[in-house]
Amino acid sequence: MPQGMFKSRTLRRVAKRVPTGTSVIVYKQRKPRAHRCALTGEQLHGIPRRTPLHLAKLAKTKKRPQRPYGGVFGSRATRQLLKEEARETR
Amino acid sequence: MLYDIGTICVKIAGRDAGKTCVVIDTLDEQYVLIDGQTRRRKCNMLHLEPLNERLSIQKGATSEAVKKAFEAKGISCTLTTPKKAKPKPTKSAKQSVDASSTPTKKEKGKVSAKKA
Repeated sequence: MPQGMFKSRTLRRVAKRVPTGTSVIVYKQRKPRAHRCALTGEQLHGIPRRTPLHLAKLAKTKKRPQRPYGGVFGSRATRQLLKEEARETR
Repeated sequence: MLYDIGTICVKIAGRDAGKTCVVIDTLDEQYVLIDGQTRRRKCNMLHLEPLNERLSIQKGATSEAVKKAFEAKGISCTLTTPKKAKPKPTKSAKQSVDASSTPTKKEKGKVSAKKA
């Protein structure tokens, strides 16, 4: 019977075979879901799926793409925005 | 042609996205050479949005000439120079050490014990 704290579904269960030959359950932390574009909802690239503890240790350039609206809007949405802005100034 | 020499464009892709540039040279049907607020480089025409304005520059104009032309239009540009690779430090050959001159660990231990 697992301990109360391990019954939580915020942990994921991984079956692992030990050297003695038996299988044990190892409880691991779940990764956060991938970030999504605020306009289109598509998955964003260049943003690691890490918990805040691990993200804080990364450099700023490793957490989002170096582009306007990087980490907020996707590349497709950003291109459309910039095109519309340029056409308004024409 | 839409992307003639002197056409002012806005870059819509890459890390220079949103910046104004001018077409300096047409390389083939797909690529042009750009300069201005962006880095001086080859660029795909699909990554540019042309504006109605034009600059009077020659084919293959230098970055300084492009900067002057932009400033006449009221657009500020900074001159960027490409990074120069630093020379790698060369390792000097290690000097040969005589085995008899350096004390061994046992001898070092004996000396420290005597001092104590």
